[in-house]
Amino acid sequence: MIRTIPVLREVTEANSLLAEALRADFIRQRILVLNLIASPGAGKTALLEQTIARLAGELRLAVIEGDPTSTLDAERISAAGVPVVQINTGGGCHLEARMIQQALEQVERGEEPLDVLVIENVGNLLCPTGWDLGEDAKVVVASLPEGADKPLKYPMAFLTAQAVVINKIDLAPYLPAKPEEMRRNALVINPDLQVFEVSCLTGEGLDDWIDWVRARLAQKRAALQGVTHSESRLGDEAPDA
Amino acid sequence: MKRRMHEMPVTQAMLNMVLEQAGGRQVLKIRLRVGELSPVVPHSVAMFFEYLSRGTNAEGARLEFERAPLETTCPACGARQVHPVPQDLRPQIVLARALASGCACGARALKLTGGGGFDLIDLEILQSET
Repeated sequence: MIRTIPVLREVTEANSLLAEALRADFIRQRILVLNLIASPGAGKTALLEQTIARLAGELRLAVIEGDPTSTLDAERISAAGVPVVQINTGGGCHLEARMIQQALEQVERGEEPLDVLVIENVGNLLCPTGWDLGEDAKVVVASLPEGADKPLKYPMAFLTAQAVVINKIDLAPYLPAKPEEMRRNALVINPDLQVFEVSCLTGEGLDDWIDWVRARLAQKRAALQGVTHSESRLGDEAPDA
Repeated sequence: MKRRMHEMPVTQAMLNMVLEQAGGRQVLKIRLRVGELSPVVPHSVAMFFEYLSRGTNAEGARLEFERAPLETTCPACGARQVHPVPQDLRPQIVLARALASGCACGARALKLTGGGGFDLIDLEILQSET
């Protein structure tokens, strides 16, 4: 006889559960985790290089690089002087929590604990938005030459992000798109977004972005202060803490 | 092109869930719900399913897809709105317009409360009489 088994579960729930476990690990390790999402060529790696240079000697960073096939971006980050683990997705369009879990085992942490982990997602504004990686914040990088209407065409990316970095503003004089127009469109989709207008080429506007990264880390650690004592005991028992 | 690539791992995750629920019994039908905004393409899922399910208890099972509508909820008054997606518009554009217009009460910052997921609703299995 035929029987119906009710399930009603999200197919990607395994990813969500693993992402929550990673998030708990990141809390124990007091690491701020950012998930960079952008189209190919928007300037994710350039933003990373600039961020690394500006925080050198102050915060310890590590990078997980998602790339469909090449190691070019990982080589750039490695040259910038921070530990980097490359994930080749083999043509896949996004990173998943299990890939992050595996990559974390390969991060060379050195003597001092890490402060910030940046995950550079695969260049794509659609698929990465649906996969939780245990991050504290998704950050969209959108460059001016892509057009000021980018937020209106890919609202999911902007809706699920906490910050947007508008890159390549040095090109504004040569383009019909204006940074303030892109900012306005981003805020139409998500009024809570932090918006930064930067040029990774000239360095303009990057100080505000760096301050935001510092503030988010301080904020996360301050929020942990109240629970540190009970949590740290748990953390000591965990093998990966 | 890129939209096609993630269906393989998603289909494998769905198949694993189905086989776990079926517990060794033959699966006849699988009902799935795809959100309007989900980047999962039913046609691709069906194609990968045929390939991945070979030699399992779900081989030959019929897949049925339902659409989950795009729904927003107002953070101020709690009103829920369903936004139909016309044939000639992409769901992302419909969402952008909904967010831009906000709620009838004047509030903005609508929350997306439906249409993003990919769910396994239920499955039909063949239960032996004994």
